[in-house]
Amino acid sequence: MNALVALCHFCELHGPRTLFCTEAVHPPSPSPPQPGSAIPGDRDREADREGEGLTMRANSSATQRADMCEGCRSLPASHPGFVSVDSETGIRYLSHQHPRQPQLFSVVRQACVRSLSCEVCPGREGPIFFGDEQHGFVFSHTFFIKDSLARGFQRWYSIVVVAMDRIYLINSWPFLLRHLRQTIQSLQDTALKVFDNEQCVCPQRAVRMNSAFSPAVFPHQRSGNAARSLTSLTQHSNLWASLHSSFSWLLKACGSRLTEKLLEGAPTEDTLVLIERQTEQEEEMSGWDCAEGGGSNPQPSQSESVQPKDFQFDDGRQEDLLGPKFKSLRHLRQVLGANDFRQLAWHVLMGNQVIWRGADPGLIQSAFNVLKALLPVGCVRAVSYSPHYEEAYRCNFLGLSPDVPIPAHVSSSEFSMLVDVLNVERGCVNPVSDDDILSLYQFNISSANTQPTDKGPTLLNKIEVALSNENLSVEVVSLCLLCLKEEWMNKVKVLFKFSKVDGRGKEDTQKVLACA
Amino acid sequence: MPTLLQKLFGKRAVGNGSARDCSTAAEQCWASAEFDLAQIRLIVYQDCEKRGRQVLFDSTAIHKLDTSEPTADETKTPPNRSGACHISSQADDKDKPPSYQYTRPASDVNMIGEMMFGSVSMSYKGSTLKIHHIRSPPQLMVSKVFSTRFGSSTSGSTNTLQDSFESMSQTFPSHTSSIGVCRVRSAPLLCLARSASFFAAHSNPVDMPSRGHSEDGDSGIARSASLSSLLATPLPSPGSSFSSGLSSSYQRRWLRSQATSLQHGPMPRWNTEEMFSLSDESCSSNPAMIQRKKIAISIIISLPEREEENHNFQEFFFSHFPLFESHMNKLKTAIERAMIVCRRIAESSQRVQVYLCRVMEALGEFRMTVWNLYMAPRISEPVWLSMISQSTERNLLCQRFLKEMSLLMEHGAKSQFLAALLTAVLTHHLAWVSTVMPSSLPPIKSACQKPASQTVDLLAKSHPYNPLWAQLGDLYGALGSPVRVCRTVVVGRRRELVQRVLYVLSYFIRCSDLQEHVQPQGQMDNPASPCTSQTTDPTPEKTCTPKPDPLKPTACVIGTSEKALNSDLGNATPGTSVEQNHEILLTDTNSTSPSPSLESTAVRPEFTEMGQECFGEDSDSVGGGLEHILANQSPLLHRVQFHIGSPSETANDGQAEGLTGAGCERGLDRKLHQRLLSDIWRKESSDSALGDSDDEETSPRELYGATEQKEYELPLPSCQVESRASVNHFGHSLLGGYCPQYMPDFALHGISSDLRLKQCLMADLEHTVLHPALDEPVAEALCIVADTDRLSVQVVTSQRRVCEGGRLGRDVMVSNLVHTLITSVLQLFALNIASDFCVMHLEDRLQEVYFKSRSLAEYLRGQTRVHVKELGLALGIESSDIPLLAAVASTHSPYVAQILL
Repeated sequence: MNALVALCHFCELHGPRTLFCTEAVHPPSPSPPQPGSAIPGDRDREADREGEGLTMRANSSATQRADMCEGCRSLPASHPGFVSVDSETGIRYLSHQHPRQPQLFSVVRQACVRSLSCEVCPGREGPIFFGDEQHGFVFSHTFFIKDSLARGFQRWYSIVVVAMDRIYLINSWPFLLRHLRQTIQSLQDTALKVFDNEQCVCPQRAVRMNSAFSPAVFPHQRSGNAARSLTSLTQHSNLWASLHSSFSWLLKACGSRLTEKLLEGAPTEDTLVLIERQTEQEEEMSGWDCAEGGGSNPQPSQSESVQPKDFQFDDGRQEDLLGPKFKSLRHLRQVLGANDFRQLAWHVLMGNQVIWRGADPGLIQSAFNVLKALLPVGCVRAVSYSPHYEEAYRCNFLGLSPDVPIPAHVSSSEFSMLVDVLNVERGCVNPVSDDDILSLYQFNISSANTQPTDKGPTLLNKIEVALSNENLSVEVVSLCLLCLKEEWMNKVKVLFKFSKVDGRGKEDTQKVLACA
Repeated sequence: MPTLLQKLFGKRAVGNGSARDCSTAAEQCWASAEFDLAQIRLIVYQDCEKRGRQVLFDSTAIHKLDTSEPTADETKTPPNRSGACHISSQADDKDKPPSYQYTRPASDVNMIGEMMFGSVSMSYKGSTLKIHHIRSPPQLMVSKVFSTRFGSSTSGSTNTLQDSFESMSQTFPSHTSSIGVCRVRSAPLLCLARSASFFAAHSNPVDMPSRGHSEDGDSGIARSASLSSLLATPLPSPGSSFSSGLSSSYQRRWLRSQATSLQHGPMPRWNTEEMFSLSDESCSSNPAMIQRKKIAISIIISLPEREEENHNFQEFFFSHFPLFESHMNKLKTAIERAMIVCRRIAESSQRVQVYLCRVMEALGEFRMTVWNLYMAPRISEPVWLSMISQSTERNLLCQRFLKEMSLLMEHGAKSQFLAALLTAVLTHHLAWVSTVMPSSLPPIKSACQKPASQTVDLLAKSHPYNPLWAQLGDLYGALGSPVRVCRTVVVGRRRELVQRVLYVLSYFIRCSDLQEHVQPQGQMDNPASPCTSQTTDPTPEKTCTPKPDPLKPTACVIGTSEKALNSDLGNATPGTSVEQNHEILLTDTNSTSPSPSLESTAVRPEFTEMGQECFGEDSDSVGGGLEHILANQSPLLHRVQFHIGSPSETANDGQAEGLTGAGCERGLDRKLHQRLLSDIWRKESSDSALGDSDDEETSPRELYGATEQKEYELPLPSCQVESRASVNHFGHSLLGGYCPQYMPDFALHGISSDLRLKQCLMADLEHTVLHPALDEPVAEALCIVADTDRLSVQVVTSQRRVCEGGRLGRDVMVSNLVHTLITSVLQLFALNIASDFCVMHLEDRLQEVYFKSRSLAEYLRGQTRVHVKELGLALGIESSDIPLLAAVASTHSPYVAQILL
């Protein structure tokens, strides 16, 4: 919990004092602000504190050291404090007499003073909540500890839990009360035993009755042992280590008392396919590792998030290839012209085999890379550049070198199309620029398809609208594509479920298609 | 729970889902026991510097002087459980206001006064909140102590109620003040909150109210605004990742953990300077005469005698405290007004009567609201939450849900009632968005089950925030930007129909499910008890875990963890080892530096602490990447990085900073994980801020002396926990059933008549904006009112706009997306496709809405003004879908609201 716990004591000589304080130090945030934006207000807060905080601190630091007695002290000055680390979360619980974070010093001091000398609790022992936005919020539980040498045979303590989250602290009241009571009870029981022992040995009441009583000197009478430490009152030499453990546990348990179950959406189909592929790859890899003794690149583990973008390129070779490239679907459309692009996209969407034949593997591969975005990841099988023809069942994108012949059954099939990339005859003049693909190449598109490609599908029409609108940035277009693809995938899921799984008639299928 | 389920589904099988089963089983009573209105007592106290303390009101000392009726009938007889808790006086009041007699306050008021104000008065000027537990008789007491504030005008007696209202409506135009509220400088706050940029990541710098003119040194408002706007991290750009974008649910939680972090010290937030307004003529005319006066309001609730009931009520009270507090604020406002109004009455007995009457009325309202909050019926099985928590019953749940939805669709087919209602609900109760945002992680369970968010889970562990608060925000749909909160009320005389609507909506109004982890009863060796091992034997006995003797540091072996630093120190005494380590570093990196001096000794604590932070846990959380990077870099550079500008190193920071700072930044910027970088940056900046301030800054450290050492590491005690479904959470309590009366708190509930709704709604919405139970600034409060009799759906807003003749709000335009979504899902269901598939399809379609909002947001990025027509052409977005898509987009892209408003 984002809080600290402190044990406070009302010293007979020195008033309210903080004895022992456990704070939680959180690891750096899992989602930090951008570099450059600090946790704001740090500087302001420094200035802010100068008012009350610093004066209070200045007073205390100047006076406190000289003014401390055994009762006001927990760990000796030379003691470095305690730390416990929650290895799961990285939260560290630190205990010292005073909080280590300077901005918390005055907060704890304020809480201590208010808990022991301002706020009124009926019966003096019990829980109170108090606080305000400036000083933080405090859940305090006051209690007595038996001391045979103290005025009234008891000393007054409190345990305070300080947090800035008012609501959280109040929500935790029942929990904190339950557990602080146990802590207090345990301290009181132990001290009571010590008290009883001491009273047996030397009944103080009798001693006091016999000695001349004078209120003015009373607290100082027992000189040398003016106020006893809690360690001595409980005869527990490991008291502070134990308290550290108790308080650390309390902070941890209170913070994890309630947990949320928050659901996310199902992964997209693309992500699912990619995850599947990755798993397969890993299995293969591990197979090879056994055989060859490893040495290959470690695959990212499955738990790491998969980003579809990484998989739009089957291999990284594209970067190495020089020469002009298609940068986006829109670029491809500009180069090919609206008509040819429409034909090409139509074939891609229909699942036909798209063959590019040309001398520049880099260009062809870039064409495939942008065209892939039209299809769900699972539907893309590309052979980016091959010295011989590959059958349609092996790939729907196929790149070929210029001299590879297309088999007759393919060139006559309506389920395939061919793009020939021809060099423009312009002599050996250096290319004007990489961008100017048309100055270098000419594209011939051929297919045996007889169906009209200019009517449907609606998906393609929508894609064309997005591509032709120059107002849409590349990012918008790719998001539009994502929307359209998801929409169609959802339709496909319904159709599949309906026709394949449940096996229905045509009429119902039409109905389903209409509504999906 | 199982019995309830059995009952529910057993019936379903027999009755084949007739309308009745949903009405009979869908509601449960919340409370385990009766709750008596008289259990709530109100005390108003004044603490004046000169005149001391005075009781201004004590409800136990007030008696109704009405011969025809038995005294205080509305408080003595509790309404029966199914019936409404009506305030009978309401209707009668118009004819003849009741008269009251004020008798001597009860004997405990002095003690109560002490508790309210404390024995020493505080100089703090803002409001203070206190809660006391009184043991006998068992009572809980909630107090708010306010500083008083007099009328802003100096015109003395002419400073009437009217004036103060006029001045107020100038400050916040949209709140025609039927509520006399006073908050210093709330105007800038409201402006900020209302401007869409409040939580915007890409907003232009907001004009902050200037600081320093207040004695308190700071305005919490400005602080809060700067915090939120600066902390809001831009979401990953869509190009970088479609699927792993952080949801706004995550953002909200992260911001909350930061905003309430102790590590940033006290950060007064937005509602700090709430005061109690008194328009006291004699004082306001002469500022020098103003006495320091405080007014405290206490609500004392008598707890049930029986242990279990007592326990249940307390659990409910503390978990629902924000709601209680919000109603207390309303009560305070009413008391404030009563005081102002009665001051204008010359005749003293009449003045008292007016005052008592008004306060009693407000108290009556408060009691009724609390009673209703505790006792009102709830939807026993909200669809969404049940689906999350019970995977075995999933099919049955889906089936039932779709069946109810089909019936509803048939019922309102002509008017598109369901489509309109769902459009409104999906637009305003936005928590569904993060539940459809695609996860980037492989599904763990079956395909139709959604994964639980692991990022949020990790956040909750490392940066605990309040899950109850998160849930409240989810339910009210406070995920957009600007922050809006919404409730839905279903009105109708036909109980079954209303309940069916509620049931269906409980699928769309979503929130996270809460689990509670408790220590089993009777567990031995409770970690909370520091002296467990000693209770039988007063002499200390070592426990099983090796604990160092705190008094003999040199004899102890440090730590059980295997951190590099620790193991270095393992065999040596900690002091010397750290010192050696440190010396080497200093001489290596800063060759001009002399041998370790006093200054360098003082550096040590920071250095070791931060060094450890970097090499220890950080690498755990960041993973292998960090270690790898660190290994490639010179470790020295990193280590030095941490003591640049650290507080006490004033002697040699000049050179060191120049030398090492530059080198580090160059190396780090390029390679180091952003996460680490920003953290270092933050540390540096805060530390140098410390270093810059005066010498007193180091004084607390002096307390420890120069012999500072690394802390002894102890194992963190662990203890068994039992997990169980949390009962007292908002997901259960704020989804109301068919209630006898309108309720201002519920995220969803049904009522039979809108009579009281019409009376209260506007005031409630305004109150919500001023005192949101959500504990964060809210720009607008909305209420969706669905009338099943008239088949109309309206949205009422706190930003009151012109509404035609007597209507509450505006009709909802049906979104075509939502319409086709419902039609398609129900069509599939009608074709007998498996119901869990239909529900999955529903989720897919909701996800499509989310994707569309992403393209809308991307399209709007960088634009200033956009025509709706253009959106239609370019993105294929219909104008009817724009409000929905814009609202969804504002959860992930806060700038959207600005452009489309």
